[in-house]
Amino acid sequence: MLIPRKIKYRKQHSPKRRGISKGGTSLAFGEYGIQAIEGHYVTNRQIEAARIAITRHVRRGGKVWINIFPDRPLTKKPAETRMGSGKGSPEWWVANVKPGRVMFELSYPNEAIAKEALTRAIHKLPMKAKIVTRETGDL
Amino acid sequence: MSDIKIAAELRTEFGKGAARRLRRADKVPAVLYGHGTDPVHLALPGHDTMMALKNPNALLTLDIAGGGNELALPKHVQRDPLKGFIEHVDLLLVRRGEKVTVDIPVVIDGEPISGSMVTQENTSIAIEADATRLPESVHVSVDGLDIGSQIHAGDLEMPRGTTLISDPELLVVNVSAMAMAPEPEEEEGAEAAEEQPAAAESEAEGESGSDES
Repeated sequence: MLIPRKIKYRKQHSPKRRGISKGGTSLAFGEYGIQAIEGHYVTNRQIEAARIAITRHVRRGGKVWINIFPDRPLTKKPAETRMGSGKGSPEWWVANVKPGRVMFELSYPNEAIAKEALTRAIHKLPMKAKIVTRETGDL
Repeated sequence: MSDIKIAAELRTEFGKGAARRLRRADKVPAVLYGHGTDPVHLALPGHDTMMALKNPNALLTLDIAGGGNELALPKHVQRDPLKGFIEHVDLLLVRRGEKVTVDIPVVIDGEPISGSMVTQENTSIAIEADATRLPESVHVSVDGLDIGSQIHAGDLEMPRGTTLISDPELLVVNVSAMAMAPEPEEEEGAEAAEEQPAAAESEAEGESGSDES
């Protein structure tokens, strides 16, 4: 599971959700990718589930790139706790994904299998997403 | 490469409000510069520009209303990250016979031997060529290549009249053995081992949290 090795502050403010992605909006490594259509927090468990969905479908001969990293902690107060008494304890690690971001990339010789693998991965993600392809001749 | 003629108008108002009005009228704001001249702000027809820029190195002949004809190459194209429509184009002024440096895509042809996987490490290379004779792409064949073969930028067959600008040692294509994905049992075992320290941490945090409440 992806998790930061070292952090400066254990509890942070929640990351802002407005706006669209400023970079990482096109394919950089693979021929196929998953692009977010909506913004959402993506937890490290969801990233891992999507990665496993891709690798188990592709099985042989594929290469997967993960372009997002869950570097923001989200906290939660325990159930049935009165308000106050400070901020809750860190519960999740999330990546703040904004619309347009290419989250996963895949290189695989068979287009149909690659797209099916990415479709399975999209089902593990919390937001609407689409598959993007590098067309022949694209830079 | 054939010239593409585009009728352009000079822009008189600037800023995001004016740019948005242009885009609503199916036009694309653009700027033309180069050769030490002052930048010229233009409005291009939306559909024609989109069709012309399907080729990233298209040579455009701009028919500027009240400004004559100019040859230009697209230097930077800003697109909407989600919908893909063109938001703005930077155009570089070129002259006939002038040598320009551009990036062109590398296209892989053929099939390597079975059991191997072709990875394209770099999708484009920089070349220098005559502005009016820019190639659309460089083709490289991987037919019959063995596992462990590599094709560098220096090994590519360059189109006539072009010079390679990228590092000749730049890796373009790598043929490797097709890797087998790990078995599900092995994967799960590794995940469980990874999770143990994280679980220990969360337990410690939970204890400190209960003290606070």
